[in-house]
Amino acid sequence: MLTTVTVGLGSCGIAAGARKTYEKIEALKSAEQLQFELRKTSCIGMCYREPLVEIRDDTGTYLYGEVDADRAVEVIEKHINQHSPVRDYIVYSDLFEAPENGFIQDQVKIVLRNCGYIDPESLEEYEGRNGYAAIRKIASEQISREKVIDTVLRSGLRGRGGGGFSTGMKWKFAFGNQSEEKFVICNADEGDPGAFMDRSVLEGDPHSVLEGMIIAAYAIGATHGVIYCRAEYPLAIKRLNIAIRQAFEKGYLGKNIFGITGFNLDIYIKEGAGAFVCGEETALIASVEGERGMPRKRPPFPAVSGLWKRPTNINNVETFANIPWIILNGAEAFARYGTEKSKGTKVFALAGKVRHSGLVEVPMGMTIRDVIFKLGGGIKNDKKFKAVQMGGPSGGCIPAFLSDTIVDYDSVNATGAIMGSGGMVVMDETTCMVDMARFFLDFTRKESCGKCTFCRMGTKRMLEILERITRGEGVSGDIEKLEELAYQIKDNSLCGLGQTAPNPVLTTIRYFRDEYEAHIHHKKCPARVCRPLLTYQVNQEKCTGCMVCLKNCPVQAITGERKQPHLIHQELCTRCGVCFSKCKFDAITIS
Amino acid sequence: MVENRLNIVLNGNIVKGYPGETILELARRHGVEIPTLCHDDRLEPFTACYLCVVEVEGMRGHQPSCSTRLTEGMKIITDNENIRKSRKTALELILSNHYADCIGPCKQTCPAGVDVQGYISLIEKGLYSEAIALIKEVNPLPAICGRVCVRPCEAACRRNLLDEGAPVGIDYLKRFAADQDLASTHPFKPEVKPPTGKKIAVIGAGPGGLSAGYFLAVEGHQADIFEAAPKPGGWLRYGIPEYRLPNDILDREVKNITDLGVQIFYNKRLGEDLSYAELKNRYDAMILTIGSQKGTGVGCEGDDAGNVFSGIDFLKNMEITGQKHDFRGKTVAVVGGGNTAMDCCRTAIRCRADKVYVIYRRTEKEMPANPIEIHESKLEGVEYLFLTLPKKINKNEEGVVQSVTCLRMELGEPDASGRRRPIPVEGSDFDLKVDYILAAIGQKTEAGFLDDINRHAPEGELQLNKWGNIDADPATLQTGISSIFAAGDGVTGPATIIEAIAQAKIAARSAHQFLTGLPVHSVEKPFTSRKDNFTVQNKEDYQGRFESYLRNEMPTLPPSGRINFREVELGYPGAETAAGETRRCLECGCVSFFNCDLQKYSTQYQASQKSFSGEFISRPVDFRHPYIEIDNNKCILCARCVRICHEVAGADALGLVNRGFDTYIAPSMGDSLSETTCESCGLCISTCPTGALTENVVFKPGPVQTEAADTLCNYCSVGCAMTLHHRRQFVIGVTGKKGLINNDGNLCRYGQFGYKYLNDPQRITQPMLRVNGKFEPISFEKAFDLIEQKIRSCAPDENAFFAGARLSNENLYLVHKLARAAVKTNALGSFHYLGRGEGYRQAADFNVPIDQIAQAGKIYLIGAELNRDNPVVGYAVTNARIRKNTPVTLVTTHEKSPMAHKVDEIHKVSSYYHFIKALNYMILSGGLENPLFLRDRTEGLEAYKKQLLSENFDQLVEKAGMKAETIETLAIACNLEMNAIILFSEKELPGNAVIELTNFALLTGKLGKTASGILSLKEKNNAQGLFDMGVNPLTGIGGQSLADPGYLSKCSEVWQTQELTTEPEVCLPERLERGQFRNLFIFGEDPIGCATDPAKYRRILSQASFIVVQDYFQTPTALAADLVLPDSFPAETGGTFTNTRKVIQGFEAVMTSPLEFNSMQQLASLIRRFGFQQSDQPHAILTEFIALLPVKTPHENFSLRTTEETFFSDRFNHGCDAIVKQFDEEVKW
Repeated sequence: MLTTVTVGLGSCGIAAGARKTYEKIEALKSAEQLQFELRKTSCIGMCYREPLVEIRDDTGTYLYGEVDADRAVEVIEKHINQHSPVRDYIVYSDLFEAPENGFIQDQVKIVLRNCGYIDPESLEEYEGRNGYAAIRKIASEQISREKVIDTVLRSGLRGRGGGGFSTGMKWKFAFGNQSEEKFVICNADEGDPGAFMDRSVLEGDPHSVLEGMIIAAYAIGATHGVIYCRAEYPLAIKRLNIAIRQAFEKGYLGKNIFGITGFNLDIYIKEGAGAFVCGEETALIASVEGERGMPRKRPPFPAVSGLWKRPTNINNVETFANIPWIILNGAEAFARYGTEKSKGTKVFALAGKVRHSGLVEVPMGMTIRDVIFKLGGGIKNDKKFKAVQMGGPSGGCIPAFLSDTIVDYDSVNATGAIMGSGGMVVMDETTCMVDMARFFLDFTRKESCGKCTFCRMGTKRMLEILERITRGEGVSGDIEKLEELAYQIKDNSLCGLGQTAPNPVLTTIRYFRDEYEAHIHHKKCPARVCRPLLTYQVNQEKCTGCMVCLKNCPVQAITGERKQPHLIHQELCTRCGVCFSKCKFDAITIS
Repeated sequence: MVENRLNIVLNGNIVKGYPGETILELARRHGVEIPTLCHDDRLEPFTACYLCVVEVEGMRGHQPSCSTRLTEGMKIITDNENIRKSRKTALELILSNHYADCIGPCKQTCPAGVDVQGYISLIEKGLYSEAIALIKEVNPLPAICGRVCVRPCEAACRRNLLDEGAPVGIDYLKRFAADQDLASTHPFKPEVKPPTGKKIAVIGAGPGGLSAGYFLAVEGHQADIFEAAPKPGGWLRYGIPEYRLPNDILDREVKNITDLGVQIFYNKRLGEDLSYAELKNRYDAMILTIGSQKGTGVGCEGDDAGNVFSGIDFLKNMEITGQKHDFRGKTVAVVGGGNTAMDCCRTAIRCRADKVYVIYRRTEKEMPANPIEIHESKLEGVEYLFLTLPKKINKNEEGVVQSVTCLRMELGEPDASGRRRPIPVEGSDFDLKVDYILAAIGQKTEAGFLDDINRHAPEGELQLNKWGNIDADPATLQTGISSIFAAGDGVTGPATIIEAIAQAKIAARSAHQFLTGLPVHSVEKPFTSRKDNFTVQNKEDYQGRFESYLRNEMPTLPPSGRINFREVELGYPGAETAAGETRRCLECGCVSFFNCDLQKYSTQYQASQKSFSGEFISRPVDFRHPYIEIDNNKCILCARCVRICHEVAGADALGLVNRGFDTYIAPSMGDSLSETTCESCGLCISTCPTGALTENVVFKPGPVQTEAADTLCNYCSVGCAMTLHHRRQFVIGVTGKKGLINNDGNLCRYGQFGYKYLNDPQRITQPMLRVNGKFEPISFEKAFDLIEQKIRSCAPDENAFFAGARLSNENLYLVHKLARAAVKTNALGSFHYLGRGEGYRQAADFNVPIDQIAQAGKIYLIGAELNRDNPVVGYAVTNARIRKNTPVTLVTTHEKSPMAHKVDEIHKVSSYYHFIKALNYMILSGGLENPLFLRDRTEGLEAYKKQLLSENFDQLVEKAGMKAETIETLAIACNLEMNAIILFSEKELPGNAVIELTNFALLTGKLGKTASGILSLKEKNNAQGLFDMGVNPLTGIGGQSLADPGYLSKCSEVWQTQELTTEPEVCLPERLERGQFRNLFIFGEDPIGCATDPAKYRRILSQASFIVVQDYFQTPTALAADLVLPDSFPAETGGTFTNTRKVIQGFEAVMTSPLEFNSMQQLASLIRRFGFQQSDQPHAILTEFIALLPVKTPHENFSLRTTEETFFSDRFNHGCDAIVKQFDEEVKW
């Protein structure tokens, strides 16, 4: 076989410099007339090792990590020209034990089945891996709409966007409402901070999403498809556009597609302007219609009255990506993975203080501990695992002592967090939970559309209390006031944004009340994060009197003679932390 | 249908709901109140405020009832502790960013809560007695308080910030209004409720007692005041010298109270001349307003010396004896720094003392006296010894004061009162030679009657508190004896007049409750939002937004002329000064105070503004639009304005900007609203639940409470019901009323803002005769004499009568009768329709009901610029388009149609007439007509068809200015549409085009079905009435032929005359032009002002030798008249208007006419002068003309009529009405 060299060109790879790597290899190839096929692919999940270059030859598969342009020269020279793989840079191989073998082996790839394997801009490569086989199967075997819906229903697939509602049921409702026009919408407005599952799928395997939408459109009788994608994903939009164009050219979109008479479907992209709330389906619909993105009361659900008041089915990217696999492999094959009520796999975006930040796809039912420690490689710098934020700003914190919780919708809900769309932000002992709650609430309060009183004003007032607490101005009664407001906001908000916005605060109060109390009553931040609560002091024994901190202090709060221990004047210190970061002798202590 | 009803459990009761109904609608239908701020019945549910939350069994969290639709078996709880808590939290969250004042600091600070901003606004408008009525709701002594109040309002006035300590002259204004009222022929007198038979004794005729008497009398109780002194007023008379408060003013204000039936018995001191035992038997209750009477001494060694008096005894004795002291050659020292000290020192000056000292232990800054008093006293020559304390009074051998030894003081730390404590400076003693010492240090309450009362009390005990004042419940002022209440200084210790009045109000209310058997309780304090709850107000907050104005100070006697007791302050010289001073008011209080839902619910749920204090947003008020003021600080983001502007007006001029906490409402692109697509309809104001959107008027009307007067809009022909809100005939605003036509209460800019002419002082109120080129007022009798003489002096057909389309049917009928019966001329018409043909009359017979627009399948606007001319019909069209996606097609000749952004397709044509004819050609030539309908319901088809098809189609198309294919497409689409409604406006379509449009409706068989056919829109409110009342040279009443024997016999019977001219006046326009009329009578029309060619009509009219014009104002036509009669506003006479759909709507006389004879009375008088009987009452006139109306045959056939191309050059804009013209020009649409 011809040796292939594949460079990962997802956003993560590009950010790490993969374009230069690719260009370097391309230049080498043409300059030296090397005999190998140079391919592009997208993210394979191992974002922490980007840029990644995979070389596949007769002997096997070798994945090189952190391949910058210089390293690329070395790898190509040794591996291609000298047939001598560079063991030091190999992070995964199917031939021998490589550092990241565990990261790949413990995953089950359904959604990400093509990501990192195919060139996302190539329809042929998608089709080479069973692409569009599912819809062809429907067409050739004349599988009825009802049957398709039944298969999805039996697979147990639940909405991967966060709601967790049965996808099959949703389709059934949309199918049941008669209308000349119906819509299928792909929600690609992934907005949680730290979440990038959908982006990876869109960048890495856009046709799988299109195929999922086509199947959904067939099942419910939709005539138009809309992909609502955030404008901040330019690469995803570019690749989607390529995929849509290819599909139209091939006749996979248009009139009487796949030979099914009367099955007409077009799909276009609507770019979102970056409002988090537009991930909520009624706000999304308003936005597509050109209105201000504000949610409205459900019912009526979109399945009854959605886009342009027509029956509409909305699923997110990951949900759609599952569909072709389910149709091809059967509901039972899918349902084999997972737990009683949560079937299949879930993609998580690991971020925060975890060693392996990146994408993983695991079967439902794996423990959080396994996800973080087996796949995620544990906590960076060997710090202590403290908690994991699941579900983004709508979710909550699951503390370390609950890390045996398994990932399935109901188990995660029981902790006060939610599965959400799959963001996992890992925190260690240096994370202040009050500050973390403040961060997420600041996000939701900025993203509130401003319609409901409680969401608009309540999140603002909660944030002000949290800000006060982190400034050391908390007063007794603040926790109770936070809880009171939190429950009121949850009870009295129209959409998911408001209903879940207080979750980060509520779960941190639930599991880390002592940290709140330390801030409020003792004016201390145990994680040493909230600067106004910190005291910077010079350790007299360690200080060498080098004058570096003294010179760098922006407010001249440090005095001292050369080679004599310095002194920080607390009344002048603004707790900016510059001295701490400048000291080379660990002589600045924070308490 | 019964089977479609849902079974719902609402608060435990089983009720029936309709599918699609919301919980809120269901609850309201069943009388269950649910609060909401963001819901408006006119709009689709939105759900923003979250006030309307309820609990639904099985649903998580609270459900917003405004948008939650019923489902079978739903169990709903609308009120419990949790729900109330949520609602309260919602309110408090909203209030935490509601940086606004409900009421101004003046009213907020006034102990009695006098509505200062309200009365200032009324004074600005010259409504002095109304201002006094407003004040007297809480303060019956405005002329007194206007002179001597300590004015906490002025201290709080925000004008101080802007003009460096020069507040609005609130008290000066009050005094001005009160003096005007006292001097007027009909001073304000409150309405007194029917006698209750209850009697109450009031002890003391001071400010508290007088006020209590007033408030009780108003409630219908018999209040008898017992006064120890020989005259009324208490402290007002015996404490305050006459140079500040003349006894005359006091007496007149007391008389206003005794005129209500309050009796005052003098020389009756409780416990001495009067026993409680006796009162108890004669009275049902008692109020003690005894004051704090006993003066205290200097309080140092030797204060028992001769010529050492308490200040109040000094003042009182002079008043009682009528003898002024003679201090000539003497030195007087007054000890103290309060208002009594001022009265003493200034009185001493007036008693001609050589030298008067005021000895005060602190500095001027700490003096409790009114600064103006200090200022005046200095002008008068008083010398101040600050930081000085009398230590010892030195007597001579006779024990009379000789000198006083004083100590110098310095100020130390602040004491409990917040003022810095004076500390003696050791060894600073000095002697001051004086002849008299007046101690004005304080007073004490004397309650010698206590034992007498307690001895005879049936229950309880009257007690004194630790300060020696009467002990009473601070909230109700009820004492230990349930039938005895107390108020004023006797309760509070020495305080101010306004505090005594405020207390009197409370005690009177409690006593009233007691007397009527109600539980005695205090009133709920309404919620008030305050800017002060957010931040201290600074000069910068007002600078730039308001200009500085010098305070209009009150003129005073020159100091040299004050050695007497004449009043020093002379009062504002006139209305202009007063009005000028009112304009310094910053109008801090919210104009929506009386109809703010946020305020109402915040009171109801006892919400606090400070529960969630935090960051707040302050935005400048946007008053760039001439009618609409946007105050985002008061906005609660319910988006009702945004939505009504979209869903109903279709203007889309407002939008939400930003997200979350930073969201606000703004005109599109942040421009001034006047630069957007705003149509100035004011719907946004009508829907705003707070004061965020209000009418932008130069001087805010209040907030004052107004009276409501329901009437009809008299601009266009839609016929909207509305309510005028007026304060004694001064119209302050208009709101829509749910009427027959505007059944959701919507108005357009005409109704909403076109009311200001009602207040115009230029209005004519008496007949004006031109004498030597100038108008002079004459009496009605003389005017009628002259008219009669002029009519009789020429042949009947030399008189021509014109009546405007704004007149009521009753007025039109009277004009008709005057012309045809009395004068016997058929030269009767209206400039409104002059020379425009007869095409409009038949079209009106077809009109689709306006409410069926909602059911249309397609809507065609053929020459109907709805938002310009008939906006309320435009709302119906927009509503159908937005909510039901009903397609709207516009055919217009305008290059830039204002409707362009509100329709789905626009077709430009050059000529409506040819376009419609081309449509008809298409239908007939293609055989697309509706044969059955034509056969059964019409006549004249063949002739019409023959004539039309003989025309050159290509020429029609060319003149129409539209492609033949487009005409065909439109003709077919409209023909095939089962529910096509075609709207047109008479303003746009000439009469012949209307006939062709009528033909189109007949050819396509669109008549006689629901939601199908044509709707003609007229320019003026009663243009249809012109036809119906026979204001027409060709036809009689209801379009009957003048020669019809049946009609003639009815006329003869009703009018009791046989001499009627049966020949129609076929050449009215031509004869007018040729000057063949000697006398012209023009009622409610302005042909010169409104003509497209005014000069031409000025010339035409000038040919007549005598012109009479009846109008509200000196219009250009009136100015060309010889005699001008004043016209009445519709709301002054009552009557009926017939809208464009021939709906006759009545309206009542709800406003008082300023005319000696209203317009109907004038016409009736004229008719009577010709020997006819004539009632001038609208209902009688209505009965009279109904007898003359034709009896309609139910299945009258319609006629297809052929038309010819006509060109009319003469037109009258604005419906030929000067009022419409004035408003149109103001709005510049």
